[in-house]
Amino acid sequence: MINLDKHIKPSRDYYLALGLEGSANKLGIGIIKHPKGELTATNRAEVLSNVRDTYISPPGEGFLPRDTARHHRNWVVRVLKDALAVAGLVGRDLDCICFTQGPGMGAPLQAVVIAARTIAQLWDVPLVGVNHCVGHIEMGREITGAQNPVVLYVSGGNTQVIAYSKNHYRIFGETLDIAIGNCLDRFARTLKIPNDPFPGYNIEQMAKRGKNFVELPYTVKGMDLSMSGILAFIDSLAGDMFAGNKNKLLVAADGSSVTPEDLCFSLQECLYAMLVEITERAMAHVQLQQVLIVGGVGSNERLQQMMAQMVQDRNGSVFATDERFCIDNGIMIAHAGLLAYRMGQTNELWDTVCSQKFRTDEVYVNWRDD
Amino acid sequence: MASHIIAQAQAYLPNIPLTMVSQGAEALVFTTTTHPCLPVSEQTDTTYIIKYRPSKPYRHPKLDAQITKHRTISEAKIMHKLGQLGIRVPRLVAVDAPKGIIWMHFVGKLLANGEMSSLKNWLWYLERVSAPGSATDAGTARILTQVGREIGRLHMHDIVHGDLTTSNILLEQPHTDMNDTDWEPVLIDYGLGSYSGLPEDKAVDLYVLERALLSTHPVFSEKYNAWVLEGYALGHAEVGGKLGGKKCTETLRRLDEVRMRGRKRSLLG
Repeated sequence: MINLDKHIKPSRDYYLALGLEGSANKLGIGIIKHPKGELTATNRAEVLSNVRDTYISPPGEGFLPRDTARHHRNWVVRVLKDALAVAGLVGRDLDCICFTQGPGMGAPLQAVVIAARTIAQLWDVPLVGVNHCVGHIEMGREITGAQNPVVLYVSGGNTQVIAYSKNHYRIFGETLDIAIGNCLDRFARTLKIPNDPFPGYNIEQMAKRGKNFVELPYTVKGMDLSMSGILAFIDSLAGDMFAGNKNKLLVAADGSSVTPEDLCFSLQECLYAMLVEITERAMAHVQLQQVLIVGGVGSNERLQQMMAQMVQDRNGSVFATDERFCIDNGIMIAHAGLLAYRMGQTNELWDTVCSQKFRTDEVYVNWRDD
Repeated sequence: MASHIIAQAQAYLPNIPLTMVSQGAEALVFTTTTHPCLPVSEQTDTTYIIKYRPSKPYRHPKLDAQITKHRTISEAKIMHKLGQLGIRVPRLVAVDAPKGIIWMHFVGKLLANGEMSSLKNWLWYLERVSAPGSATDAGTARILTQVGREIGRLHMHDIVHGDLTTSNILLEQPHTDMNDTDWEPVLIDYGLGSYSGLPEDKAVDLYVLERALLSTHPVFSEKYNAWVLEGYALGHAEVGGKLGGKKCTETLRRLDEVRMRGRKRSLLG
């Protein structure tokens, strides 16, 4: 049994943590409250505020690090004030300030950590650095109540299949080149569809209208997968489609020509089938029955549906969260950071350097002992 | 346990008694004593494995049919080829590719704790149940070296496995006089296998196994992996002599590159 209450403030029976997240194009700040003692189904963490602002780039373009960092710098004070106002707190009430230490895009990470350092010194509150992926996993577990799931973490920058073993979240399978969200975003750019609210959502809506399945490469490598080849393949198909070039793959079985909707449909079917397959492989390999889907792409209904079908045949259960917690947010950083804080982790100023390369399995998960 | 899948398998295989052994990620494994081709009078009580790849409800039917057929055929082909080359594999009996069914001879046995004798179960058994230290003793070293040797021989024939994990390596005792700690490894499940002479593909094969060891057996993974690589070189030397040694160095050099390429690797060390 782990004692999580060694560092509680003497006059209190709860903890408050603020989390700042800005590893990609979302700037999120959230405040979470943990009651004293172990978190259970009856003794749950409480979300006091969860504010987010997203930098949206024009159609056909991705978000550049420089512009994204500028967005974060411009908005961080407003979002922070908002988060405090919604929670009805002042800065000095907090136990700790948690920030994303990586992985992510360098410039946006830097922009947000500077804000975190500033308020930590202003209010004299300790800092806690958090691994972004661990933030997603812990938040997913807390919200859904999944005990020991196989985690599929799918977002714009990450595609990993993770399971817990001996105080680390071990990576069983991951992408060998680009992440799934990146693949979808880049295809959305090829099709010039809007980035608002996010490209994956718009692809999902188009895919619902697609009917013809175009065969794409299927590249599962053990428990790993590769997606850059699929992207290049479908990009060239789309190129042929727009240029009106002849291509027999662009003629459907009933003789009609393939539409952008059909391409979105085929891309989703192919990529998600690969994701579900590697998740199933990991489940069979480590003999677990629960699946938890986290990360931005995890809010896709088709992926959740396919996962549910797979899990049903294995008599397991699938857990997913909605867009408030799936898509990057400050709450998850606050939650994971507070868990680390309750185990005694705080980062001195010199130790708050961010890194673009911070692997999930590097984090020592001392708040779990199973 | 997924009864409609079992019913489907039974419908494809009428009048054949099936006993379910395990549900893997993409296939169900049954045992039976019926040979598919022999007349009733010549049936023996040999045990056969039937591996059935059910159609996956989550996949688009077109994609599903293509994947099932392709994997079943390539698994059967590679198993047959390896059998001819004298590498230890389950012997192939029959294939029905569109339905995703393969018959083969039975390998492996049950461990002391009732689990199937896959390398994973055996290592877990040593790490958790057995006497301390037995997970890293000379017997374990010998078996992991053997595993490496088998992979080396596979690669010398320009065949890559594609899905090397500790679940896909079975341990068997081909001779009846072998005792409890004496096992010979057999590589199974060639569904993702392919023919390739490229050092890149072979290195990825080794890398997949290395990662599987790290994630499944985190405590001793470094030792295990070193033994596997030791055996890998042996396997090359055995099949190809001097040329084998050269190929082995080439692949291992490539393995270093593949390791460096992994995503979000720490830049230190």
